[in-house]
Amino acid sequence: MFALRQWWNQHALRTALIALAIATAWAVRETGASPIYEVYRWVTSPLHPGASRRDVLASSYTQELQQQIVELESQNRSLRQLLDAPRAETGASIPAAVIGRSAGEWWQQIVISRGSNAGVQVGYVVEGPGGLVGRVIAVSPSSSRVLLISDRTSRVGARVSRSRATGYVRGRMGQQVIMEFFDKMPEVREGDVVVTSSYSQLFPQDRVIGRVVSLDLSKSPAPEVTIELTAPLDILEWVEVVPFEPSEAPEDAPPAVLDSGDGLTP
Amino acid sequence: MTATVTTSLNKLKRYRWLNVAITLGSVWGCMMLLPVRPPGMELLGVGPSWLLIWVVAWSINRNVVDGAIAGLILGFLQDAMTGPYPTHAIGLVIVGMLTARIQKQRFIQEDFVSISMIVFGMAVVAQTAMALQITAQRLIQVGVSYPQLPEIWLQHQRIALSSAILSSLWAPALYYPLNRWWRHYTRVVAPPGNTP
Repeated sequence: MFALRQWWNQHALRTALIALAIATAWAVRETGASPIYEVYRWVTSPLHPGASRRDVLASSYTQELQQQIVELESQNRSLRQLLDAPRAETGASIPAAVIGRSAGEWWQQIVISRGSNAGVQVGYVVEGPGGLVGRVIAVSPSSSRVLLISDRTSRVGARVSRSRATGYVRGRMGQQVIMEFFDKMPEVREGDVVVTSSYSQLFPQDRVIGRVVSLDLSKSPAPEVTIELTAPLDILEWVEVVPFEPSEAPEDAPPAVLDSGDGLTP
Repeated sequence: MTATVTTSLNKLKRYRWLNVAITLGSVWGCMMLLPVRPPGMELLGVGPSWLLIWVVAWSINRNVVDGAIAGLILGFLQDAMTGPYPTHAIGLVIVGMLTARIQKQRFIQEDFVSISMIVFGMAVVAQTAMALQITAQRLIQVGVSYPQLPEIWLQHQRIALSSAILSSLWAPALYYPLNRWWRHYTRVVAPPGNTP
């Protein structure tokens, strides 16, 4: 007992400091690292990609294509009105620079330069030149963290745009991802374009994911194909954050989709 | 006489605060370095594990408990910057304890090469701890269909090797200034032959 009290007298301050440090680290872990990323954004701000890149992005050619898209979308909308099939409207997108990569080796994340001050919220969808990139998982006032679709925990409900064969895409920590089909005999061949499906709850439908590069249709339990992502995730410099509210599960969706697709397992 | 004692006490106090500032500042600097990938700091999409290098530099001249505590705190901080599971804390605690356990005087001379070798080995240990956690999650949770085990361990090979190579190459850049300061600090605060 005496020895214990003597030890305490000698080490009380040290023990208290250690406990305080551990408690602080735990609190930071539980609340997310938004102060860390705020300072990170401030420190790295001279290194962010400059305005010239933005000019390139907003070149006249891009503008022309965008105008065409607007035209096609409005045509599409009027046709859909005729068909009585409403489509979720998406708001204006927020451009953001990629200022960092994932802080751990087992994650596929990027840090972007816009946060809640610019209106970014958790769950918003991030697109880059070429197609879908990922979704926002953490937001601080002036930066946010994006989970890429190549992360090993990422699932995206997807379909082959030519044959409408559905399945889900899961990440493999690289530029190539795997798509598993719900169907035993999906109609798919090399070169097919894969887009997000309407069963996807975390992503809007009809966003380009990638292109099929190889097939493994005899794979058990589900046939799968390898997809090359069209968005170059390794060299991304600018992305667009698209406002999106994760939707509720559609009632007529097949149960397999709800069980295994679309979710981001923690 | 009293004046000299007061000035030396003041100096000691200043040194203590400087030490706290340098220690915390270096941790903060390591965390700022984690998300950046300038040329030379990336191999197969993986950067150096700065916090692991810090834990090794800290533990190499300290005891097992200190090493474990540093590993725990820095592990939690890295979790905050990535995601809660798998946690980095387990790997870094093991690294801190192992590094403190190595009988340096007997086996390893303290120089850049041996520091790099220790960091190389410890990076592999830390990444193995991560892969084991993912494997455990895969085996315990029934609903998780992915990632499959061979795929996890293929990724483990790639990540462990590139992380170990890069971390061991960058280790002296952090270890040398930090350890030089800590040695200087110990000499000022508790000079040899004058220990209480």
